[in-house]
Amino acid sequence: MKIHEKALTISTSSTIVLIAVLTIWSELSTPFKIWLTGIAGHHWVTKGVFSLVFFVITYFVFSKFSEDNVKKETSCVVVSAILSGLAIFLFYIWHFFSG
Amino acid sequence: MAHPLIGIHAALGEIGVLAFLWVFVELLNPTIERVKRAKIVALMGIIFLFMSWVTAGYYYVNIYGPEVKPIIKGGPMPWAHSIFTETKEHVFLFLPFISLFTLGLLHKHEKKLITDKNIKKSLLILCGLIVLIGLSMAGMGYIISTGARTALEAGFI
Repeated sequence: MKIHEKALTISTSSTIVLIAVLTIWSELSTPFKIWLTGIAGHHWVTKGVFSLVFFVITYFVFSKFSEDNVKKETSCVVVSAILSGLAIFLFYIWHFFSG
Repeated sequence: MAHPLIGIHAALGEIGVLAFLWVFVELLNPTIERVKRAKIVALMGIIFLFMSWVTAGYYYVNIYGPEVKPIIKGGPMPWAHSIFTETKEHVFLFLPFISLFTLGLLHKHEKKLITDKNIKKSLLILCGLIVLIGLSMAGMGYIISTGARTALEAGFI
């Protein structure tokens, strides 16, 4: 199977951002957390399943696009991982002290 | 006694992360043989990270949540759960995807990366990121265990 680099970059970066958004949103909205829990029995399991499905779908959707360059794509994934990780960590610090 | 899945999920995760440290070393001065080895080791790393995901998930949902979380939250270090477990369980989810991305690039550029410094540098950065996130998982695991231990020592059962 030929690997489509740009699609892989977009699917990886957007999945990382999706994880951060689902994480923060589920803490801020109880109905959303209950909805996530209702799907797979636990909100964390649903987030994991959603991430995998989203990763696969975005890869196949964006594999129709033209290729880009490796340096730019790596930066995109690294920056999204660092910013999303920091967003989650800082959110939980704020959430702990504000609760 | 600590539940065996704590050690099993940590060991699987650390092996996965060490595999990417191995890939990092192979790619410092890549040759055809080293790249071939790096592809196999990266694939092994991904398999270990996915096994860690499944075992950690089972432990987190079925044992940690109902048994350990209330102990930590009732103890002297409730932030060990509220900040570090919460961060760890979600940031961990990045690892399987970043490692799949890294293996994808490795496969796609296996020939070019020997001569192209940009591709080599990109892959080294990605492996480094996987190792750093993995080490942060171990560090947060230590803080969470300490949170549980101090709660038990303080009599919160």
